[in-house]
Amino acid sequence: MFGSLFYPNSTRSVMLDPVDICLLRELERGLPLVPAPYEEIGRRMSLTGDEVVERIRLLKEAGIIRKLRARIDQRKVGISANALVAWKATRPGDSNRGDLLAAFPPVTHCYERRPVPGRWEYTHYTVHHGYSREMVQDEIRAIAAQIGCPDLDYLILFSTLEFKRVPNVRMRENGGDPT
Amino acid sequence: MIPPDSVDEIDLAVLNALQDDLPLVSRPWKAIADRIGISETEMMDRMKRLEESGIIRGISPVLESRSLGLHAATLVALHVPEGRLDEIAATISRYPEVSHNFERAHHYSLWFTIAARNEEGIRKVLNEILHQTGIPASDVLDLPTIKKIKINVRFSFLPEQHQERNVGPC
Repeated sequence: MFGSLFYPNSTRSVMLDPVDICLLRELERGLPLVPAPYEEIGRRMSLTGDEVVERIRLLKEAGIIRKLRARIDQRKVGISANALVAWKATRPGDSNRGDLLAAFPPVTHCYERRPVPGRWEYTHYTVHHGYSREMVQDEIRAIAAQIGCPDLDYLILFSTLEFKRVPNVRMRENGGDPT
Repeated sequence: MIPPDSVDEIDLAVLNALQDDLPLVSRPWKAIADRIGISETEMMDRMKRLEESGIIRGISPVLESRSLGLHAATLVALHVPEGRLDEIAATISRYPEVSHNFERAHHYSLWFTIAARNEEGIRKVLNEILHQTGIPASDVLDLPTIKKIKINVRFSFLPEQHQERNVGPC
């Protein structure tokens, strides 16, 4: 049942055990707002707080948990502008566009994607957030200038409506029941 | 929606700190409170208020998709016929394989992501969506992920910006 889950950073293929799966599901529900949240999670699964902390540490070491953090609705704090920027591939021999883009601190996501030849030649995608469209636009223009990307080689796509935004891995919905 | 003045500078410090990896100590809120210079009780009160107002959506792990068997992902853009945006967006959002679904200001107006165990799984979801919505292939851009180069969602909340909040469209 858990056969397809492996620790990616491990040299061996170590399987996640059912307790890990259960722990990931508990964590995904959100850390409780009590002074000792790991202990509280442990209580629900008959583990001590120390055991919970140790398992989380190992799951991080194995690259399964990237980090534990607050999910924030940035729009409610005034960060209402969101842009996806599509960048065209660089000229031959100029293969590090992705790393260059990713190095800018305000870039929250940077992906390389397969283009649609003849219809859509953009290969790199970055996401930017800001208090206003003007600020985001200025930031993107500055980045384009620094990496030497001409105006016609990138496209700024501001979001106008958000229909869905959830973590891309959710144990309960799409990650936790491998067959 | 919360009134603009209900978030003060200490709240912003709390929000900034909570976006870092949470300390793996038995009392993590206290560890962060000590760094900010407030008491553990105040820290928890503020977190509770920020959660109630919907600013904090929860404190949870960021999971690595590949380690949980999700080996394929794509970004899809659709040109949506006038008047059908809400209906089509709702159809797409119902899929658990879809995590992000945004309208963007472009001819291709609806942008969403699909993650699945393999390319086959992606294809199945996308074909189903196109079949259900009747969008022709010529109005679709399917942009599979070749490489995740960076994912680091972190907002820097600036007090001075916060005071002159921009309340325009998103």
